[in-house]
Amino acid sequence: MLDFEVVGKRVGNVDAQDKVTGGRGFPMNYNLPRMLHGKLLRSPYPHAKISSIDVTAAEALPGVKAILTADDVPQKVFSPVYFVPTLAVGSVQDMVLLSKTVRYAGQPVAAVAATTLDIAEQALDLIEVEYEELPIVFDVDAAMAAGAPQLHENAENNIAKSVVHETGDVKTALAEADFVFEDVFQTQRVHTCYMEGRVCVVDTDRQGNVTIHASMQHLFGLREKLAYILDIPESKVRVVKPPYIGGGFGGKLEVTEMEPLAALMSFKTNRPVRIAHTRAEDFITTCRNPIKMELKTGVTKDGRLTARLCTSTLDCGANATHGAKVIEVHGLFGFSYTYNCPNRHWEGRTVYTNNIVGGGFRGYGAPQAAFAVEQQIDIIAEKLSLDPIELRLKNIHQEGETHPFLKSKFTTYRLEECLRRGAERIGWDKRQPAGSDTGAKKRGIGLGCTVTWTSCCAGQPDLYEHSGAIVKLNPDGSADIASAAIDLGCGQNTTFCQIVAEEFGLPLDKVKMTYADTSTVPFDAPMHASRGTYAAGGAILLAATEAKQRLFEYAAEMLDAPIDSLDVKGGYVFMKNTTDKKLSIAAIASIADSPLVKMTDNGPVQDGPSFRGTIYGRSSLAPEFSPVVGGAMFAEVEVDTETGVISVERIVYAHDIGKVLNPLGAEGQVEGGVQQGIGYTLMEQLRFDEDTGACTTIDFLDYKMPTAVEMPKKIECIFVESNETSGPFGAKSLSECALIAPAAAIANAVYNAIGVRFHELPITPDKVLKALGKY
Amino acid sequence: MAKKFVNVTVNGEALELAASPGGTLINALRDQFGLIGAKPGCDSGGCGCCSVLIDGQVRYSCMVFTQSLESKSVTTVEGLESAEGLNALQQAFVDSGAVQCGYCTCGIIMAAHALLTTNPFANEDEVRKGISGCLCRCTGYHKIVQAILAAAPAYKNQTIA
Repeated sequence: MLDFEVVGKRVGNVDAQDKVTGGRGFPMNYNLPRMLHGKLLRSPYPHAKISSIDVTAAEALPGVKAILTADDVPQKVFSPVYFVPTLAVGSVQDMVLLSKTVRYAGQPVAAVAATTLDIAEQALDLIEVEYEELPIVFDVDAAMAAGAPQLHENAENNIAKSVVHETGDVKTALAEADFVFEDVFQTQRVHTCYMEGRVCVVDTDRQGNVTIHASMQHLFGLREKLAYILDIPESKVRVVKPPYIGGGFGGKLEVTEMEPLAALMSFKTNRPVRIAHTRAEDFITTCRNPIKMELKTGVTKDGRLTARLCTSTLDCGANATHGAKVIEVHGLFGFSYTYNCPNRHWEGRTVYTNNIVGGGFRGYGAPQAAFAVEQQIDIIAEKLSLDPIELRLKNIHQEGETHPFLKSKFTTYRLEECLRRGAERIGWDKRQPAGSDTGAKKRGIGLGCTVTWTSCCAGQPDLYEHSGAIVKLNPDGSADIASAAIDLGCGQNTTFCQIVAEEFGLPLDKVKMTYADTSTVPFDAPMHASRGTYAAGGAILLAATEAKQRLFEYAAEMLDAPIDSLDVKGGYVFMKNTTDKKLSIAAIASIADSPLVKMTDNGPVQDGPSFRGTIYGRSSLAPEFSPVVGGAMFAEVEVDTETGVISVERIVYAHDIGKVLNPLGAEGQVEGGVQQGIGYTLMEQLRFDEDTGACTTIDFLDYKMPTAVEMPKKIECIFVESNETSGPFGAKSLSECALIAPAAAIANAVYNAIGVRFHELPITPDKVLKALGKY
Repeated sequence: MAKKFVNVTVNGEALELAASPGGTLINALRDQFGLIGAKPGCDSGGCGCCSVLIDGQVRYSCMVFTQSLESKSVTTVEGLESAEGLNALQQAFVDSGAVQCGYCTCGIIMAAHALLTTNPFANEDEVRKGISGCLCRCTGYHKIVQAILAAAPAYKNQTIA
C-alpha cells in the first residue's frame, strides 16, 4: 500500500477554526443593504382549489413591498430535482411555482416581501384566500383504488411512476424452491433535520441579472431550474457558492418555491429579498419517502437464494419530485443488486397522495430496502438453521464479478472481509439464540449489510454526473482550488485540500478552497450520491495533476533536468536520486507570474525560463463507472422489557472504503450516520393530523431525534482498504452507507434480544410493549 | 411598538440594546451586534444552536426576551477566545474532529463551557447529559464528547468568578 504525506492522516476540518469562533460562512448569515424579508402563505387544506385570493388589505399594510399569487407568476410545469436535467426523458414534471390547486397541507399559495419579518408575517394574515375543498386521499392503497380522487392529470390511479426490473425466471424458480418466504415491511416519513434551515438571498438588477446565495447542494442545478421556471437565460443567473452549509443530507437537492419567488419579488421591488424557512416549514419540505416492500424469496435448503420477488410502493405525496428517482435507486441498488441471485423480479410504484412531498435523504431508498431485505435474510437463516453471516456469505457478490448494471463494477469489493472482521470485533460467536437472555433487560446482537455505490448517477442516462475544477499555484508556493463542489459539512473542503496538498507535496495549510460561482468554474453535479470524494475530488486531482505537469515543465528548464526525473515533496521540486538540484515550489511559481524581463545596463533582457504564465490546471469530466461499495454494521442493543425502551449499546461498522483519505473525517461520517440511523429506527416520525393532513411534529419537542444521551458510547469503525485505482488515491465512498445499515442491524439485534421482529419503523417503546403482550 | 433601551454586558463589554416587545436575544445579537455565533435552528427552544450564557447559565437565546435583560451579563462564543487564542474547549473541538458542518458547534460549546465551568470533573455521562439540550445531526456527538473531556483539565485550574 502506498505511503502518503497528507492523505490518510487524521486531519481536522480546515474550516474548524472559523466554525468554533462564530462560523461566518453559512448562508444563514448572509444579508444585503435594503434587503426585504419574504414569507410564504401556506394552504391549511390538503386538497383544494383556490377560487379567489384577495391581497388588498395585505398590500395596504405599511412596509409591504410585493405580493405574488398564482396569477402573477409563470405557470411552467417542471420537476425541481437538481440532478435530473429539466428536459430529461423520464423526469416526472408535475409542479408549478404557485398553483390554484392545492395538493398538500402547507403548499405555498402566495408570497409576500416586506421591510421586516414581522410585517411580512402580519401581511400573510391579511391575505384572504377562498378555498373549495376537494376529496382527500392520504393512503397509497386508497389512492390507487378505483374511484380515488385524481391528484394529477396523466397519472392514472395516482401512479406517478411505475418501474419493472426483471432477470431470469422468478416464477419457475419460486415454484422449484425448497422454501419460500413472504414478508411485508413498511417504513415511515422522517426528516433530514439539517440544523441550518433552508434560506436564500436573491438580488437582481435592472439588466435582468439574478444573483443568489442559498443553503443548497447544487450550484448549477439551482441556476438551471431558476432560469427555466422564470423563463430567463441561464447566463442571467449567477449562483454563488457558500464556503460551506449547515447540513444537507440530500434534503436540499431541489429548487423550492422560495428561490424563484424571492427572485420575482426582487425584480418587482429592485431590492434584494431574503426568504428563510421556519423550522416548521422545513419539517414539511422534503422528507424520506415511506416505502412498503412485499418480499417473496425462494431458497434452497442449504441457503442459496434462487428467486427474489419484490413489490415496492412509495408514497411521494403531492408531487413526484425525488419520488420518481428514489423508487429506482431503491429497487435496483437497494434490492436487486444486493445479492447474487439469477432470478429476480422487482416492481416499483411511486404513488401520489395528499401528503407532504418527499425528497432526497442519505441512502435514497436504500435504507428502506435494507430494513426489509436484511431482516428477511435473518428470517431465512433462522428457519434453515444457518448462521446469518454464513447465509450472507453464500449469496453475496464477489470482487471481479460482472455487475448486472453496465456502469457499476465490482472492481474492488470487500464485503466478505467486512463481515468477517466486523463479526470478530463485535464478538459474534458470543451471540445467544433469539430471546434467550434472562432478566428484564435483554441484550442482543444483530447485523445489517449494505451494498451501495460510489457516484450513483455515473453512467446513467439523463442524469448529471460530471465535475470540474481549476487548481492554481500562487507565487508564495500555495495552491488554490476553485470548484462548484459544496461542503455540506461532511468535510469536503478538507478532503479536497488534502488531495491537492498530496499531489503537490505541500503541507495542508498551503492549500485552500476559494470563491466560486456558476460563471467562474466548470459544471459540477450536485454534492450527493456519495460522489464528493470520488467524482468531485477526482476532478480536482486531475486539475492538480495538470498543474503539476506545468510546474515540472518550468522546473525542468530551470534545473536543466529531464522532466521525467522530477518529483515533489515537502514544498520542493527535486530530481529523484539526487538531493543537489531542487527548487521550492514558491520559487518556480513566482517566476511563472513575474515579468518576462529584467533590466540590465544594456536594457531589458529575458530572465529565467523561456515561457511565462500562471501555473494552473483544469478538468471537466464524469466518472466512467460506479465502483460498488460494501459495508456490514453490527449492533448490540439492550431492550428493557418493562419500559419498552431500546438502547443501542455498541456499534461496529466495517466498511469497504477503497482508501481512507481522512480517518478522523471518515469516523465522523459513521458516527453521524449512527445518530441518524438510531433516530430512524427507534424514534423519528413525521406525524400528521388524520383529518386535515397538518403536520403535528413541527418542532424538536415533538419530533424526537437522538441527543448525546441516546447514543452508544462505543462506535467502532473498521475501514477495509482495497485501493480502488479509479478513485483519487484509491478512494471510493462512505457517507450514505453509514445510514443504510443501522435500521437493519438494530432491528435484527432487537429480534435477537427479545425474539420479536418488527416490520414497521420506528420501533418505539409502545410497540415493543405491545409486541411483548404487556398491554 | 415601544422599544426601550436595555443596558447589558455582552462578552465583557457594556452595550445598549434596543429591545422591542417580543424581541428575542438571538435576533439582537445577530442583527444589532453582528455576533453570529448564536444561530437560529428552530426558534422554539428545541435545538440549542442559539445557546449563550446569561449570568453564567446556559440559555436558549431564542427564548429570552431582550426586555428582560437589564443589567444582565451575556456571554457568546465570540467571548471565549482571548488575546492568547482559542480557549481550551474551542481548541479541543478543532483538534478532535468534533466539527463537521459547524452549525450546532457554537451552541454546544457554550453548553459545554457552562458545564465545565461549574463541574470540571464531569464524567462522560454528565457531559452527555450536559449537552443534551443541543442537537447535532452530523457528528453523532461522539467526537464532541471526546473534545469536551479533553478540554476539562484546563477548566480544573480555573477560579470560578
